[in-house]
Amino acid sequence: MSYDFLETVLFALLTIGIVGGAVGVVFLNRITGAALLMAFTFLCNAGMFVLLGAETIAAFQVLIYVGAITVLILYGVMFTPQQHRPYALFFQKQTPWAALFVAPIAIFVALFAFSFRDSAHPTPRGGDLVPLATSVFKDFAFPFEVASVLLLAAMIGAIVLVKRDEDE
Amino acid sequence: MNIPVGAFIAVSSILFFLGVTGVLVRRNAVVILMCVELMLNAANLALVAFSRRAGSVDERGSVFVVFVFVIAAAEVAVGLAIVLAAYRNRPTVDVDEVHAMKG
Amino acid sequence: MVVGPFGLDPAIWAVLRLIIAIALAAGLVFNGALAQIYLERKIQAIIQDRVGPIHTGPWGLLQTFADAIKLLGKEDIRARLTDHWFFLAAPAIVFSPMLASYVVIPFAPGVVGADLNIGLLYLTTLGSMTVLGIVLAGWASNNKYSLIGGLRSAGQLISYEVPQILSLVTVVLLVGSLSLTKIVDGQGGWHVYGLIVPLAFVTYFIAGLAETNRVPFDLPEAESELVAGFLTEYSGMRWGLFFVAEYGEVTVVASIITTLWFGGWHGPFTDIHPLLGPALGVLWFTLKTYFFVLVFMWIRATLPRFRIDQLMSLCWKLLIPVTLLNLMVTAVLLLAFPGTHVPVAIANWLMLGGVMLLIPFLQKRRLIALRQRLETRRLALATAERPR
Repeated sequence: MSYDFLETVLFALLTIGIVGGAVGVVFLNRITGAALLMAFTFLCNAGMFVLLGAETIAAFQVLIYVGAITVLILYGVMFTPQQHRPYALFFQKQTPWAALFVAPIAIFVALFAFSFRDSAHPTPRGGDLVPLATSVFKDFAFPFEVASVLLLAAMIGAIVLVKRDEDE
Repeated sequence: MNIPVGAFIAVSSILFFLGVTGVLVRRNAVVILMCVELMLNAANLALVAFSRRAGSVDERGSVFVVFVFVIAAAEVAVGLAIVLAAYRNRPTVDVDEVHAMKG
Repeated sequence: MVVGPFGLDPAIWAVLRLIIAIALAAGLVFNGALAQIYLERKIQAIIQDRVGPIHTGPWGLLQTFADAIKLLGKEDIRARLTDHWFFLAAPAIVFSPMLASYVVIPFAPGVVGADLNIGLLYLTTLGSMTVLGIVLAGWASNNKYSLIGGLRSAGQLISYEVPQILSLVTVVLLVGSLSLTKIVDGQGGWHVYGLIVPLAFVTYFIAGLAETNRVPFDLPEAESELVAGFLTEYSGMRWGLFFVAEYGEVTVVASIITTLWFGGWHGPFTDIHPLLGPALGVLWFTLKTYFFVLVFMWIRATLPRFRIDQLMSLCWKLLIPVTLLNLMVTAVLLLAFPGTHVPVAIANWLMLGGVMLLIPFLQKRRLIALRQRLETRRLALATAERPR
């Protein structure tokens, strides 16, 4: 008895999660709800990674996105309170232009996407970590160092930007 | 596995274009940052899906995903710092109202 | 037709196994929390020279049950909240990752929920998800003290994740695998990693204290500070759930310490019998874990609390440089002398001694500088007040 339908069911559920979460982020009026739906989208994305056999990437996704970036966005939401605006004001100016530009390109890309018909070949069980680590530290050692310098620059930049001037 | 790579790419593209719509339509700067994160997630999903097609696993896709994680985290940190600094100047995060350099 | 264990269909056995594992983990967590609440009160009492609970049941053993029944019967106070669903969801978001952490911890040889080869990464990931629940709890309470408490706690948790992960990575360097079963299998007898990288153990212990919001790092939730911080608006069993989550997290941190640095389930007589040996392994594991839980409680009864800026400067100015230095030295020595852990051990013990000697020295210098600053300020004030 094969349980291949389980993969399809999981893929369908995760797709619904991702698309539903993203729609909520874009169209929800309440910002904290949008932030939590974004976290839910991140979790479903991590599920997709596990389905593709990339468990290490899935763990990193949850660790970085749900654990840190969501908290950062929530901090940003909480430190910038705004008056509650009625829903209609959001859609006054840009929506027709957005629909005009985005929808045709989206349809074209979606149709193009379905032209990739070969099966996804997930990594054999447990085989994701060692090739990834070897690649990062051997073939991509220089970009790795550059990435750490980038993080340092971002950290210093963020601290400098929000530092209050000392009133002496 | 019986799910074609194209299905993952389609999901990734839907997520990406929802993110683009969000950036174009929403006016709150923090929500725009959230939609940019959605776009980066879509890119990650596409990278991992493409790295696992045609019977072998090319781990360079996963390596690139790690670098995208790093860049996304750095970008959110600096972006929020900018939003907070601008908020301190004039208490609004509405991107339509921050046009002091216009004209 | 494939027949699984107990003659069941393998699919049904997989689902049944999952249900049994979740039930066992939940039972372990709740019973462990019950035991630890009682232990905490008794140990604090003994250290503070009083008796603790003695009335309910013999030696006050039923006190926790009485408390639980009281909590269940409390009125569910609903203040006017910012976000009702977030208020309800926050205890669940804090509790669930802690429950999911028990699946990778090896209790005995062969007794492990899932032998993930990214076990340690999985544990750190779960530890970082509780931050989200705490921020939500602070935000949803519609109370500025809760908000400040929640944000402070989140800042503390995120800051202390860095020395935590760096200390774990130091042990991973010795083993070469993130899998917890491989880490435990690499130890045995006197060859435990606590003797090879004691500095990593000390830094992880301190970071673990901060990660679980225990004294001396319990500023965000202490009763005398900020009116219990992000827990203020939670009453009855919702607060009970936060509490159980905290004790469960303490047990997880203590389990990680025993697994990584003190041999996990290793102990005498673990291989005498295929069935009795693992049971003894579980016993040794439990004893070691609860030893560290008792040390956590001992520290709680002894030390005063840190201020938030002292807490942050301890993390960023002391722990992170020390763990980074430890990681670099360990990596360099492992590359220079492959196959032997002795240079790593020597370097680590030297660094531990150095750090322990350095801290009082630095503190003394800071105290002298502070006294000088106060003295100059007093002189300036005295000269300024003199009438012209």
